[in-house]
This record gives sequence, C-alpha cells and structure tokens, in this order.
Amino acid sequence: MAEPFIRIENLVKAYQRDTQTLTVLTGLNLAVDEGEFIALMGPSGSGKTTLLNLIAGIDRPTSGRITVGGLEIHGMGEAALAKWRSRNVGFIFQLYNLVPVLTAFENVELPLLLTDLSRARRRKQVELALSIVGLADRMDHYPRQLSGGQEQRVAIARAFATDPKLLVADEPTGDLDSKSAEEILVLLERLNDEFGKTIVMVTHDPRAAARAHRLVHLDKGVLKEDIRAEAGRKEVGMAAAIAASTGFEPRQ
Amino acid sequence: MRFLPLVLKNVFRKKTRTALTVASIVLPLLVICLMGTFLKALEAPDPRTARGSFRLVVRHRVSLLSILPTAYEEKVRQLPGVEAVSDFSFFGGRYRDGGARDAFPRVFVDPETFLRVFDDLEIVEGSARDWHGDRTGCVVGTNLAARYGWKLGDRIVLVGDVFPMTLELTIRALYHLENGTSATLFFDRRIIDERFPSFKGSASTIWIKAKDAAASERLGPMIDALFENSPYPTKTETENAFRNGMVSMLGNVKLLMTSIGAVIVFVILLIAGNTMAMAARERITEIAVFRTFGFQRSTILALLLGESVLIALAGGVFGILLFVIAMPPLRRQLMLTPMLPLAATFHVYPEVLTLAFALAAGIGILAGLVPALRSSTRSIADGLRRVA
Repeated sequence: MAEPFIRIENLVKAYQRDTQTLTVLTGLNLAVDEGEFIALMGPSGSGKTTLLNLIAGIDRPTSGRITVGGLEIHGMGEAALAKWRSRNVGFIFQLYNLVPVLTAFENVELPLLLTDLSRARRRKQVELALSIVGLADRMDHYPRQLSGGQEQRVAIARAFATDPKLLVADEPTGDLDSKSAEEILVLLERLNDEFGKTIVMVTHDPRAAARAHRLVHLDKGVLKEDIRAEAGRKEVGMAAAIAASTGFEPRQ
Repeated sequence: MRFLPLVLKNVFRKKTRTALTVASIVLPLLVICLMGTFLKALEAPDPRTARGSFRLVVRHRVSLLSILPTAYEEKVRQLPGVEAVSDFSFFGGRYRDGGARDAFPRVFVDPETFLRVFDDLEIVEGSARDWHGDRTGCVVGTNLAARYGWKLGDRIVLVGDVFPMTLELTIRALYHLENGTSATLFFDRRIIDERFPSFKGSASTIWIKAKDAAASERLGPMIDALFENSPYPTKTETENAFRNGMVSMLGNVKLLMTSIGAVIVFVILLIAGNTMAMAARERITEIAVFRTFGFQRSTILALLLGESVLIALAGGVFGILLFVIAMPPLRRQLMLTPMLPLAATFHVYPEVLTLAFALAAGIGILAGLVPALRSSTRSIADGLRRVA
C-alpha cells in the first residue's frame, strides 16, 4: 500500500492564553493520498483552520507528527519551513488577499520571486497560470478593477504558479456569490483532476464540500467523521454525510 | 534587486502620506545642512599660503573690552618671526538709524602699518596714498560699498557711542579681499587720538603678521609669556580662533547647534517611525500572506526597511538639493549682514552633504527597524486571523 501524501499522527495543538492552556486539536490522526481533494468541515472553533495551518507548515504542533510528501515538517525550523512552503504549498484565502498595489500579473508573480527563475521564465509561468484561470486578458488589472470571483481566480493562479503539489484553501468560496463560488469550485476540481494537485479545503459551504473526494468533520478538535466518497463525488453516502453534519441537502 | 519594484510600489501605496513624510524630512534636512555648514565654517582652518595668512591677534587676557597699550607693538616687533605689527581698535557707533541692517565693523587703525599686516587687502579703487594723505579719509570694503552704493569721495557720518562724537569720513579707497569679506570700514586712529587723548597709546587689539606657519604657532605663547606679569596680560590666538571666539561670545554655539540638530533628527525619527508603524500595521495580514508563500523573516525585514530607507532618502536627497540650490543666494544675503565674516566661509561642504545623506539613511533604518522587526516576527497564523 502506497504511503499517504499527508500523514498526521497523534496531532495535538494547544495555545497558551495567559495562565490557561487551550487545546484546539486533541490527538488527531489523518491520512491524505496524493491527488486527493478533501474538505474539512465543522463548527466555528472546531480547529479546521488550525489543522489546515499545521498541514501547510505555517504553524507548528504542540506534539504529534506531520509528514507531507515524505518529509516530516513538524520538527522543521522557521527558515526551513518557509523554504519548504515556497516549493510545496499554494495558499488560497477566503478574502483572496491580493496585494492592492500590484496588478494581477504582479500578484501571481510574487511567489515566483522566491525562485531562481529568470524574469522571462517567470513571465511565461505567470501568463500560463493566468490563462488556466481564464484571466489572461486581465493581467494588467489591479484587484480593485476585478470582481470578487476574478480576484479569487487570480489568487488561485498565484497559489499554483510555483507548481506546488499541495494546495490549501481556507473557505475559498466564503466571500463569493453562488455563481462565482461555482466557478471557483470548478477551477479547484480542474486543478485536482487535470494537474493532480492535492487539495485540502476548509469550508462551511456544503456545496463546496460536495466537490471533495472526502469529507473530514471536526468537532472540538476531534476528528468525528472521515467519509470517503467511494464512487465519485456525487455519491449518495457523501451527500448523506454532509446532510447529516450540516443539515443541508446538496444538489444532486 | 528583484524586490525593488515591490518596495517602490509599497512606497507609493499611500501617496499623500509618503509625500507628507518626505516633506517632513526635507525641511529639517535643509536646516541640518545649514547648521552643519555653520559649524564647518567655524572650523575652517587658517589658510597656509603666505598672503593673508599667519596672522595673530593679541588682546587683553580678561576681555576684548579691556585695552592694551600700543607700546606692546614695539616689543612684539622685536620677537623673531614677526614680519609686521599694527593696532586695530573697534569704534562701534551707529550709521544711519543704527538698526541691525546697518551694522558693520568700523575700525580705526594706524594706516602706516595696517596694510603690512593685512597684506591680502587689495586696494581696487583710489589708493593707500590718498587715504594716508587725508586724516578724515577711510577705506571701505567693496561688499560694503556695493551694499550702500558708496563710491570714492562719498561722505559717511558715524555717530559714536563708546567714543561720543560725530565722525565725518570721506571714502578715499575701496579694498577687496579674495575671501569675499570686504565689508569693514577702516579709518585713521589719529582722529580718535586727538579727540580722546586718554585713549592715545591704547588699542583694542594688536595684530601680528608672522613670517610663516612655524612662527605663527611659536609666537602666541611667546607673546603671552612676555606680558604675563604686566598690568595688561595678553591672550594671543590665530585670526581664525579669534573670529570663532567672537562668534562664541553668543554662547556655546557649537553645543547649541548640535543640540538643535539632535532634536531635529529625533523629531524626524518620530515622524518617520510613526509612518512606518502605520504602514506595517495596515499590512499585518498582507505580510502574513507573503510569509505563507515562503518569504523569510529576513526578506520581510529587508522589504520594510528598504521602504523606510527609500522614503527617508527621498526626503534627504530633496533636502540636500534644496540646500545646494538655496546656498548661493542665502550666502549673498548673509554677506550683506553683520554675519559677513562667517558667511564668507559658507560653502557647500561635501562633508556636510555626506553627513546629511548618512543621517537620512540612519533615520530610515531606525524609523523602520521596530515596525519591521515586529512584522517579521509576528506569527503567520496571528497575521492571517486579522481582518485587513
């Protein structure tokens, strides 16, 4: 049996608030295969974003092990983690977080500035990424000149411009209307299907969760359900699980 | 260098704020340049060429207001290394309404010996002979003549205060000094000697022209030792030290100037620091996002410091440019005031420009350091939690 792309073992994350210790994740175990698309769901404060941050190497666990792509990242130092992120992880945020003074092109180019690529090569890469998200004609537009959906597409282009294996998305449709959200989800599916990106997505949106291969439900730092869609994303077991955990009936 | 466009974009992110911060650095830097020039002018070394150099000033050890006997001149003249000796006394008095704009040095001297000591003083109109031949004649500097539109033969009326008399002088010669300080009026001391016999044989100062630099250095202590136990002990110093002493009568000018400069730098530092703190605070989330891409702490630190230094240097460069442009007309204006002797040594000193530039860079680094350190060390997760 192949080694999972992401392996999490006995993961504990606790924060110290004055004299109190707040444990957000309690002995969590999870495995994600390469090329898998998983959705993390759960109520606010359940630890979804904390788990996402730990998987992406922007936070470090209190205890436990995290292995991504065969590399143990839980013990890595700050500088090594930053270097690892620059090559292996792409981030997609709810509020897009584009730099307002940079054009779409320049925003997508940002992570590429950390690579050894020449200017010409960077340009090629940015143009490719923007054409994949359908915004090749908006390269010189500033974020304020784009709609929310377009901004998020630029943010997605920025996330995969360096061709990372792992994409992490924190509520990528949370700030979008349903039409734009749909476009973003289609794009994420495409990145997963066509480009083989492993995607870990935090969401409250059952429609978004329904696009994933798997739903991981967290509650108070504990993994409650880990439901794998055995026969495709619209599989009945998955939809039922979403309905059970959110009270929402996804579209069939 | 690949991050420079990013730094520039951030510098111009809030154009009004950047412009105001730059402006808040420009004017103080201009003032710093002026003060630096003033201090530099005070330190201007004695020229080491023969004409107009190696001059010493002998005055009463207690005060410039105390007088010296002119009999000292003969004793000093006997010392080895002395080329010429002359006395030099301040008349004071008023010209026209006596306001500050009409203040200029009025000095009575012995015409016979005076030009031997002040051998750099070039008579450009009239002649020394004309002056020597007219007891009520005077010699005025070309700057002074230009200021009042005087020409040869014009009559000048001075009203004395220390020497209560009305003095009517006729311009018999105009002189010019290469250093541009031609703004003194010299007249024959015999007028004073006749009107105030009690002052005869006295002088405010005695000036000496030494043969060379070595003699100039040796003579000072020798002269002071010579008159140490006399009723009129002396203090002998170089012309430059004497001039600086005149300026320092206003107080410890160097300390005052340096203190004002330090306060100015501190105020700019606070303004620039506040700007950078605001800029960093507004971008907490953005900086966290940068770090998710893999930007190292050191890179974030460098980006923010670069931004701060660029803003400060822009202010510094504009301030220096403004100074370089303003200096010649300012100098011309100061040459028409009692500050003339000092203003003549005002130049655009490269050391002052370098200091101003270094100060601007230092302000940039210090102003950006704390916000940059805070931003680069804040946890990414904390930064992402903030709503921009």
